[in-house]
Amino acid sequence: MVTLTDLGLANHTLDTMPLLASLRQACFSARAEVCIERARHVTAYLRDLADDNEPMEVRYAQAVAHYLTNKTPLFFDNNPLAGTTTSKRFGAPVYPELTGMTIWPELDTMSTREKNPQRLSRQEAEELNLGILPYWLKRNILERTRTEFGNPPGMRLFEKIVFFIASKAGAISHTVPCYQIALETGLNSIIAEAESHADALRQKGNLSAEERNQLAFYRAMPIALRGLIAYAQSLSRKAAELSALESNPARKANLAAMAEVCARVPAQPARSFREALNAIWLLQIGIHAENINMAISPGRLDQILYPYYQQDIAAGTLTEGEALELLGCFWLKLNDNTNLVPETGEELFGGAGTVPAVTLGGIDQQGEDAVNDLTYLMLRATELLKTRDPSVNARYHYEKNSSAYLARVAEVIANTKAVPALYNDLAAIRTLESQGVTTAHARDYAIIGCVELSASGRSYDASSSIMLNLVSALELALYNGKRPVTGDEQIGPQTGTPDSFAGFNDFWQAFTTQLGWLIGQAIELNEQMGRMHQKYLPSPLLSALFEGPMKKGRDLVFGGALYNSSGATHIGFADTVDSLNGIEQAVFTDKKYSLPAIMKALENNFEGEAQLHAWLVNRTPKFGSDHPVARKNSKNLVEFLFDTYQDHVNYRGGRYRPAYWTMTNHAGQGKLCGALPNGRKAHRVFASGITPVSHAALNLAACLNAVAGIDSRHIPGGVAFNLKYPTLRTEEEREKFSQAIEAYFRTGGLHIQFNIMGYEMLLDAKAHPDDYPELLVRVSGYSAYFKDLNEAMQDEIITRTAYELDAGNAVPFPQSARAMLPTETAPSAPRRPTLLPPKKPQTRNPLLDPLMGRFQTCLENGVADTFLETLLRLMSLALLFDHDFRRNIEGFSGRYLFLSKDGGVTAGALFENSHLEVLSGAVANPDITILFKDGRALMDYLLTPKPDILGSMLRQEVSLNGNLNYLYKFAYMARRLQLMATGQT
Amino acid sequence: MKQQLPLIFNIHRMAMDDGPGLRSTVFLKGCPLACDWCHNPEAMRPEAEVAFFPKLCIGCGACREACPDGAIDLQGTERLIRARCTGCGRCAEACPATALRRVGTHYPVADLVDLLLRDKIFHQVSGGGVTFSGGEPTLHLNYLEAALTALSRKGIPTAIQTCGHFSPEAFAARILPLVDLVFFDLKIRDSEEHARFTGCDNRLILDTFRRLNREAREKIIPRIPLVPGRTATRDNLRALATFLKEQGHTRCDLLSYNPGSIEKHRAIGMMPPSDLPETLMNREEEEGLRDFFIRELAGEEVSRPEKFFPAGRETRGNFKPRQGGEPCRSISIMR
Repeated sequence: MVTLTDLGLANHTLDTMPLLASLRQACFSARAEVCIERARHVTAYLRDLADDNEPMEVRYAQAVAHYLTNKTPLFFDNNPLAGTTTSKRFGAPVYPELTGMTIWPELDTMSTREKNPQRLSRQEAEELNLGILPYWLKRNILERTRTEFGNPPGMRLFEKIVFFIASKAGAISHTVPCYQIALETGLNSIIAEAESHADALRQKGNLSAEERNQLAFYRAMPIALRGLIAYAQSLSRKAAELSALESNPARKANLAAMAEVCARVPAQPARSFREALNAIWLLQIGIHAENINMAISPGRLDQILYPYYQQDIAAGTLTEGEALELLGCFWLKLNDNTNLVPETGEELFGGAGTVPAVTLGGIDQQGEDAVNDLTYLMLRATELLKTRDPSVNARYHYEKNSSAYLARVAEVIANTKAVPALYNDLAAIRTLESQGVTTAHARDYAIIGCVELSASGRSYDASSSIMLNLVSALELALYNGKRPVTGDEQIGPQTGTPDSFAGFNDFWQAFTTQLGWLIGQAIELNEQMGRMHQKYLPSPLLSALFEGPMKKGRDLVFGGALYNSSGATHIGFADTVDSLNGIEQAVFTDKKYSLPAIMKALENNFEGEAQLHAWLVNRTPKFGSDHPVARKNSKNLVEFLFDTYQDHVNYRGGRYRPAYWTMTNHAGQGKLCGALPNGRKAHRVFASGITPVSHAALNLAACLNAVAGIDSRHIPGGVAFNLKYPTLRTEEEREKFSQAIEAYFRTGGLHIQFNIMGYEMLLDAKAHPDDYPELLVRVSGYSAYFKDLNEAMQDEIITRTAYELDAGNAVPFPQSARAMLPTETAPSAPRRPTLLPPKKPQTRNPLLDPLMGRFQTCLENGVADTFLETLLRLMSLALLFDHDFRRNIEGFSGRYLFLSKDGGVTAGALFENSHLEVLSGAVANPDITILFKDGRALMDYLLTPKPDILGSMLRQEVSLNGNLNYLYKFAYMARRLQLMATGQT
Repeated sequence: MKQQLPLIFNIHRMAMDDGPGLRSTVFLKGCPLACDWCHNPEAMRPEAEVAFFPKLCIGCGACREACPDGAIDLQGTERLIRARCTGCGRCAEACPATALRRVGTHYPVADLVDLLLRDKIFHQVSGGGVTFSGGEPTLHLNYLEAALTALSRKGIPTAIQTCGHFSPEAFAARILPLVDLVFFDLKIRDSEEHARFTGCDNRLILDTFRRLNREAREKIIPRIPLVPGRTATRDNLRALATFLKEQGHTRCDLLSYNPGSIEKHRAIGMMPPSDLPETLMNREEEEGLRDFFIRELAGEEVSRPEKFFPAGRETRGNFKPRQGGEPCRSISIMR
């Protein structure tokens, strides 16, 4: 219910809430630090303490509980909500089961890298290198899958990066848990319920296999939950201790209050707004102890917290201002952690937060207006703080929600320039219903992470399972099963040479054959990885916070939730549709150019083909216009994907759901892709999400109609539609803005989000990042600070079409910056990255000096003919003579095979018994094979502090086959030698 | 058939400036006046013509191959030899860069209405509709009547923008009952000055204004384009205010000067007047003129959409602009 007289809450500002202002300041100035606390405890438990006879479900719960019980209770600031995700003020936690291994090569350098550095102390790097990561060499999900399924073909495809990303190697996470039960009944009662189930099974005796699994699950859940309660208790004790020592009365009282809150929740039911909010925060922390920090989304907080708010307000124990401040503190708490990102990840995903999504407004389970005072308080918190997390989503039901609500959302978008994103309740609910969700549950949907729809707390959606590059299927069709970036290797089936297509339907057949084949590969690998999650990474704690698992006696990863699905999102949608349009129109309808002629132009990146290029850019149909060919091809592609995915049932018994959101992958994947028949030049970004190609859709009404015209039931995973307006200043403009949203929703549009910024401002922000330290932008699902994005992604956001609201037309892109457009030739990147600047040599053992000298010469001069030989010989000597260095291989055995692509060099490295044996011939059964173009390529690959990974892939300099963790370990040792050789240790 | 259809040179969709709400605006080609500041100079002539935008040209020469009349000069900065050009548009069809564009397309009424109805929801949610502009839409009375009739059957609110240079009888009988609003441009009060800058004196325009005003004053919204050295003088504004007061009008819209027409003049081979500024009016100067005019009129300016419809008056369509706080009721969705 709405009782506020001023929906904008204008009386409450950062000036009236100094605590919030200071916490916000601290949040913006915090620098990321790697946190190894969880990795340390979980690894130690599984390695040293666990009883291997116990089922994995129980062992993993014990490991999580071991961590939570030993987790340090920390109070970094005056935030009234107790608990921290990590042991650092702004921490990037290491999950070695998943992505953690990828930072191994960078342990010594990630603190100082140029873009978004993540600090790691020398001591903690050492602990990771010698203590933690070695345990996971063969045990993270990626390598478990490889071993279990014999290095399957899907894995080889995934590792080429340019076809699809099998996200389960990095996470399932992406979920909206059900917090109500824990708030209302407390974890103690959930524990009691699970234990009574366990007791019942024990008494029954003579259990079936299924019942044994149930028993394991019912035993595991209380173990994990007790771990979380133990953490709350240690927070409570520590707060009481600190309170006793504190002299500042406000701080003393705050600590005492936290001691009281944490003594109670989440074990027992929450009694107040503050207890409820702190309980949710502790549950978030608990989930992060078990699941990697990606898109763990709190969901409909304005609904979940409302009873507590209402009760406290009625009792006079809480004011709206206090509630707003607490919510702001919670928003900032959600910003206390970030993803651990290696350098390559920076290029592909840079700038993302952890994207915990909060969902506001819409209707309730009975179908009535659910907007209440808390909705507006949360909008105000979002407006005042302008932080990248949480990702705030506003649901809008145009029949039930008031226009005052929409107007207020529009105002917040105008003031933050980016958030919240908007969802059409009618379309979203209809879509979930068509996926088999009941009406009441569909009405209670919330957003996961970027834009994915979820029946919150009831549906386990693994919404980021697959990220598939649609353009790669298009290139496979154009090049008869090959792609320029992967060279001469036959990747997909042979579907015909360019001169063999008699009509557009033939080409469409070839394209969908490639696409269907690729989807099959991606799904097979996802299923394999899903099985590994079941076997090695269960989620007993998260399962306690869901509807379904308790009743079924089954963990979420085994299909315990009420509903199940897997999400597959797609990169390059608009570029693919426009390329299909271009081929259909120019080749087959107008017969203006032959497909071989277009192919020749593509291979030359349109060099010398200005006329053909201009024709494709300007005269062929574009997605985002009314053109019937564009509408047909977009519809056919969406329906093909829908039908293909829905045919597949996943390992949890749910269906695959196609989606269209891209994070920053459209920039990274674009860089690896050749020129396209829509006139996009080689190595340029793709359009984001389901957004039309920049400057291809010139009329706003047509653009909105085209996107809204895609039946939302065919895009059940969710879409990101990015729109940009230069300004939204006056009330009149905001009114038109709201009306355009309403019309788009009534036409059937599912999602829309905005950047309210013009080309000139963004160009200025790129040129002068220091002038825009807090500029928040909507990427393609999440929000990021503009300065954190890599250059390709910045350019993509700058060049997105801006529309003027008064005439509904695209604002022309400034002539002076035209070179940035995807239809212009990409500037050639510097061919070679630079190596570490040589410093004074400083070896610790004179026996190493001669080889160290040769190694330095390699590094300094870039002369790399003998690089591999020098490196291996130096490594082997250093292992003999340098005690510290030798610790790297104590207890380690590994077999490495190095092959140069011309066949000129074959070398093996065998690590065994703390000793390296270098062989000049082949090695049988290598753990990993490293195929490299030449010495320089290998040297760059292993040693460059800011490796040009994408460039190296484009030049096909290095390829790998085998257990990647072995390469990471080797690369770490090589870099260590490099640091020693250049005197930087 | 096509000969009887007027040429339409542009359709704005989701426009904000041509009446209440979000509107689709149809621009018809051909105008009886020839205002030297015209910001749609490509609309003056009723016949098809070709525009050239040199910045977009890639110099490929496809136009020369396509032209049947030898009217392309690749070396010339104007590209077209206007004397030879028949406006057939083949060069534009061949141009890959859209540097050459045919100005004007024929739309049978049914096609036009289909196209406009695509945006019906935008009109519905905003209390918007369709506006006919130009050029001068009343030059094509039959077409206008047919289109307005069809739109009115679909419940779409309509408006026209006119220079007023037409005979009022037929208009009052056939068009006026079909439209919700008439945006009536008044430019220069002095008849000789009017003739000097627009090619026609203003007697017919003022007569038409008086006549329509008697018939349906509530539908008429007078507008004055502010053009430096033409309309935007204190003398002229005072004289126009006097005229409007005589006619019982206390509300008038002043349109800011739009210098964007200069490039368009050049694109169709016309010389823009040398004394027209290429920049917007100075903000203070413009505000001063607006204040002055309002004082003279002792009335108010129409600048906010709700002012198009004074309290109590509804549009002929079923849609009202939504009020804050009121939940929006369901409207059937166009599929």
